[in-house]
Amino acid sequence: MISTKAKKQIDAWVAKYPEGRQSSAVMEALKIVQAENDNSLTSDSIQAVADYLDMPGIAAAEVATFYENYNHKPVGKYTIRFCHNISCMLNGADDLIAHLEKKIGVKTGDVTPDGLVNVKKVECLGACVGAPMFQIGDQYYENLTADKIDEIVDGLK
Amino acid sequence: MADIEIEIDGNVVNAKAGEMLIAVTDREGISVPRFCYHKKLSIAANCRMCLVDVEGAPKPQPACSTPIADGMKIHTQNEKAKASQKAVMEFLLINHPLDCPICDQGGECELQDVAMDYGSDVSRFTEGKRIVADSDIGALIQTDMTRCIHCTRCVRFGAEVAGIMEMGGTGRGEDMKIEPFLEEGIQSELSGNMIDVCPVGALTSKPFRYELRSWQMNAVSNIARHDLVGSSIYTQTYKGKVKRIVAKDNESVNETWISDRDRFSYEGLSHENRLLAPQIKVEGKWQEVEWNVALDFALRGLANNVFNARQADQLGALASNTATLEEFHLLQKILREVGSENIDHRLNIKDLNNAISLESNIKLAGLEGVDHALVIGSNLRLEQPMISHRLRKANLSGASVDVINAMAFDFNYRLNSENIIPPHQTAATLAGVLKSVLQSAQAEIPEYLSDIEVSDVATQLANKLSDSDNSVIVLGEHVINNPQASSIANLINEIAQQTNSTTLNLSASGNSTAANLSCFVPGKGGLDVNAMLAADLKAYILLDVYPQYDFHNSVQAVESLSNDDTFVISLNSFKDDAVAQYSNVLLPIASFYETSGSHVNVEGKVQSFSAAVNAPSDAKPAWKVLKVLADLLELPGFHYADSTQVTTEVMHQSHKQHVHDESIDVKVKRGINIIWQKSPYAVDVLSRHAASLQATKIGQINSASMNKATAKKLEVTQDDKYLGVPVVVSESVANNCVFVNSNHSTGGQS
Amino acid sequence: MNEVCFKNLDQKDPWSLKTYEANGGYSVWRKILKGELTPEQIIDELKTSGLRGRGGAGFPTGLKWSFMPRNADMQKYVVCNSDEGEPGTCKDRDILRYNPHSVIEGMAIGGFVMNATKGYNYIRGEFMEPFYRFEDALKEAYAAGLLGENLDGSSVSFDLYAHLGAGAYICGEETALLESLEGKKGQPRFKPPFPANIGLFGMPTTINNTESFASVPDILANGGQWFADIGVENSGGCKLFSVTGHVNEPANFEVPMGLPFKDLLEMAGGIREGRTLKAVIPGGSSTPVLTAEAAMAMTMDYDGIEKAGSMLGAGSVIIMDDSTCMVETLTRLAHFYYDESCGQCTPCREGTGWLYRVLKRIMDGNGKADDIDLLMGVQDKIMGNTICALGDAAAMPVESFLRCFREEFEYYIEHGKSMVKG
Ligand SMILES: Cc1cc2nc3c(=O)[nH]c(=O)nc-3n(C[C@H](O)[C@H](O)[C@H](O)COP(=O)(O)O)c2cc1C
Ligand code: SF4
Ligand code: SF4
Ligand code: FES
Ligand code: FES
Repeated sequence: MISTKAKKQIDAWVAKYPEGRQSSAVMEALKIVQAENDNSLTSDSIQAVADYLDMPGIAAAEVATFYENYNHKPVGKYTIRFCHNISCMLNGADDLIAHLEKKIGVKTGDVTPDGLVNVKKVECLGACVGAPMFQIGDQYYENLTADKIDEIVDGLK
Repeated sequence: MADIEIEIDGNVVNAKAGEMLIAVTDREGISVPRFCYHKKLSIAANCRMCLVDVEGAPKPQPACSTPIADGMKIHTQNEKAKASQKAVMEFLLINHPLDCPICDQGGECELQDVAMDYGSDVSRFTEGKRIVADSDIGALIQTDMTRCIHCTRCVRFGAEVAGIMEMGGTGRGEDMKIEPFLEEGIQSELSGNMIDVCPVGALTSKPFRYELRSWQMNAVSNIARHDLVGSSIYTQTYKGKVKRIVAKDNESVNETWISDRDRFSYEGLSHENRLLAPQIKVEGKWQEVEWNVALDFALRGLANNVFNARQADQLGALASNTATLEEFHLLQKILREVGSENIDHRLNIKDLNNAISLESNIKLAGLEGVDHALVIGSNLRLEQPMISHRLRKANLSGASVDVINAMAFDFNYRLNSENIIPPHQTAATLAGVLKSVLQSAQAEIPEYLSDIEVSDVATQLANKLSDSDNSVIVLGEHVINNPQASSIANLINEIAQQTNSTTLNLSASGNSTAANLSCFVPGKGGLDVNAMLAADLKAYILLDVYPQYDFHNSVQAVESLSNDDTFVISLNSFKDDAVAQYSNVLLPIASFYETSGSHVNVEGKVQSFSAAVNAPSDAKPAWKVLKVLADLLELPGFHYADSTQVTTEVMHQSHKQHVHDESIDVKVKRGINIIWQKSPYAVDVLSRHAASLQATKIGQINSASMNKATAKKLEVTQDDKYLGVPVVVSESVANNCVFVNSNHSTGGQS
Repeated sequence: MNEVCFKNLDQKDPWSLKTYEANGGYSVWRKILKGELTPEQIIDELKTSGLRGRGGAGFPTGLKWSFMPRNADMQKYVVCNSDEGEPGTCKDRDILRYNPHSVIEGMAIGGFVMNATKGYNYIRGEFMEPFYRFEDALKEAYAAGLLGENLDGSSVSFDLYAHLGAGAYICGEETALLESLEGKKGQPRFKPPFPANIGLFGMPTTINNTESFASVPDILANGGQWFADIGVENSGGCKLFSVTGHVNEPANFEVPMGLPFKDLLEMAGGIREGRTLKAVIPGGSSTPVLTAEAAMAMTMDYDGIEKAGSMLGAGSVIIMDDSTCMVETLTRLAHFYYDESCGQCTPCREGTGWLYRVLKRIMDGNGKADDIDLLMGVQDKIMGNTICALGDAAAMPVESFLRCFREEFEYYIEHGKSMVKG
């Protein structure tokens, strides 16, 4: 369920915490396992993480369902996390989200038929001076305009 | 902690600094509403119902999590406190279905109670109530999560008391959902307590569902008799039937919890297999008859087979461990009055010359305070759930626990060491422990230990016991038929004395302590159960005996009892084919909760109870049947008006200490040893008939576990049957050992 | 401007150890390693400096550090709060990206003062660029012998690790953050006990905001008085303000406390062409909104903003011009708190959803005449009744929006459409 490579990555996180506190690494472990499994988690993968970190399955499930950054159903290869909170909203995020939905042909929450992208509306990402903005993977894209969005989306492969 | 004075609602109250305010108000009888607070669980402070006004604090403070300080002035009822309480109540109710008329908790719902006092009109909420989908969490607990108020008592119960975190709060905010993670649902042997802790009707009893409202029922204080604890319970009855069982607080016995076995076994009471009318066997055919006819028939049988020939020693009495103290007493008294010492309750012991004799000299509550425990031969959680819970508490507050078992079991806390040792080496291991203890104390080594080599394990176990100030050695059920059972008990006794440890003997469960207290064992010249059966006695009185489950060698027992010239009077609460086969008279008796009597728990505490309901149909309490039988036999001294007079008599009877073999054999035996244990929910006839318990995971335990090497020797593989039980090959079992958990007894092979 | 946290901003590779040290970085830490500074001296300097917590609550940092049982014989921790998630706030991200060593040095100093040999920086899960910057800086610091055990032969040890969140605003609340660091869901703990007694892994712990830690090295290098003098009474030093919304040049500005709001607005390029100022949220979405009039008269310091009727919070100044529909804006904020409530306490779990749904209904054209009273009532019942301040944070915008812009809500309810946008 968890690859050797993933285990190594998880172990590196576990090493940051005191002995016996390996469950501190659960958030990263879930992310690592999610990344290896088409960007979403299943009961089995959550249980596997729990087992690996020697914690109750339900405790890992609590974490996996509490935080935003885990998916429990299939998502696209790229999730466009579009901020729609106040500063971005004041700077036109809503119109741009509508533009983006039109551009990719699916609504927020749905995945494009080719499985490439989906849009998710998220709360403030802490880049408000660059509003409006969104995040894809590790990368922030700020001061968005319709043109800029087109260019970014066209570049997704 | 210093004594301080605080002021609550204008009255001066003494308390200890640092106590939580709610503990003080509870003690003083000042009512502060609460949902998440539970005196046996950690504080969560999440419901916010207990907000009160503390002078000087800008915000209202939660009574459950506000430590008091000298001079604090608290108002539980002023406008500020009331406003907060009302606000919280309103929030709790907006998403609550308010379906009290159809809710199983109706009438005993903490939310409903508090709402009466605080709830204002909640019709202002028009945004649509939250509906939560339910999941099936098993046979015992019904969920209705739309009613959940997210107090997390059930979650904390699992993590803190049951010791397995099964329920959790998934999601967040308004979407937070209290649920178990996996489809298998709830597995804990204490799970039913979640029903008691849940303040609303989100978790209710599944077997009880939709039956009745609490106010329609009568609650009778009672004692559960399935184990060595004798937990306090309320039997809730309606129209002569036990409808539900809930825990009753009894701090020194069961605190506030009960096991699932104690809670749900009552279902068996209304099983169709109940024996309802007296029956006699005439020319091989059973006839239902009146009581007087049956008793008459019984007397004639006894006269013919025993008394007419003046052969009192041809009469035997056997009882299962579920009988009450009074029943044991009356039956042994009858036997002794007519001149027979053939009395026994130890039906599951293969060789009574090799029986365990070990006293228990620690209180249940005292178990929490030990700093070390050595557990031998026990799957404690499933055998004695409440004792396991006490030990777990000790462990959580720092006690170490070592285990010697023939198989690895699921302990719900971290063991210091788990030693998986073949049964044939148990005595030798303990001998090593004793030798190591003696060596460290530079004491003389007795002859029988001279050849013993002290292993590292033995040294470690010994050091732990010697180094602890307050250790206990716990002996469980697995050792009862060990070829060195008696030596093991004697070794434990020696080790305990040398290390100043207390001992706890859990090797015989149910009401076996009462059987011993009433001398329900053979006296001088009497035969033990195995000897009786071998001797083919001419007559028996059997008290709620079910041969396939109760006798060690059920095949031999049935055979012997079925002899043509053996007259068997059976008092049973349930019908049973084998019983029908060998008996001549069947007398229907009351089961649990249908009779008054007493249970004696492992610490010797005698707990009496009265009947909560009448026995069904023509069944009668066994103590009454035995008294009438004695009267008909014209025996002196049976003039009891009620069972408490019997109790008083037992308590005043001089208690003969029977001698036991003190020799110790420490040689390692050869061959494969079978540990045969009844499944946790098959320990007595009532549990076996409780459908919901049987439907749980624990109820379905039925396996002969052995490791690969042993399986090879026995020429079986996974899923074969071994002695009729499915084989499970697992390396968690010691070598040369088969660990059987089954709902019937061996038939004598082991 | 840009004198402390941002002082390297326009230099080459501002994030590098080289740049940091060229600007006097780690001089305080090295002094400590040489035994030239005592914990007491440091606490005194911090108290003199008037540094108050930059995470939102504004608690004096020197005082907080003095609460730690530094002599208790157990592991102690310092934790940095880089969970930055308050809408409108984006300063910590830039500190981590451009001046990570100041956070490291600040935390190390805190560790020394409080006798805590281990630290964690909790960085929000989305901040991957800042996370990598911080990790690189950690590597540099370890390589330079600035972190680790018995540093420079002294008895001083400090190990520092970065931890990543996974998307939950509530983890910015310090005790939720500790829960999260322990691998649990981020549900705030009730207090007391406070983290200084029972914190991370049950041990004494001090938590400060990224900017608070980043300010410490310069304060100690230049003296507490120097910092205090930059600011005004009760608000020592300078502070990062994130100016966002309807301004021409939204940006982070590190300016002296006490700066008039209108000057700050001007620094951000002023209101968009052809528009006028309508409202300002001065400290992040949780702080009460102010009318243009109140804002224009305000100075940017703790007392000044409080006098105007709001709070300095995290220094996140959200500017709204006259095109802004206040009903829509409040609905968006209400959605945020509804979305981010951890769900453990009743008033917040149930109340935030209630607030949002009523507002949403108004936006959908189904408002009722008594909805304003209802909203006022609900926010009042949340206020003060919850475990953590998120409950209050959800209540305050509702109260202030309705108080300052009531007529817009009445209009929306009556006409089923926005007074501003039509
Ligand atoms: C809902 C909520 C969110 C918070 N978010 C943050 C945050 O993102 N960053 C932060 O530093 N403090 C945040 N805080 C404040 C912290 O609880 C804490 O006061 C702060 O980290 C202490 O550091 P300081 O004294 O240096 O300000 C938040 C508080 C609440 C109630
Ligand atoms: S199910 Fe019952 S006990 Fe559990 S959280 Fe909900 S209301 Fe509380
Ligand atoms: S106020 Fe809200 S966020 Fe804070 S603890 Fe309570 S429910 Fe959680
Ligand atoms: S509001 Fe969009 S990044 Fe902060
Ligand atoms: S009882 Fe105090 S908050 Fe729930």
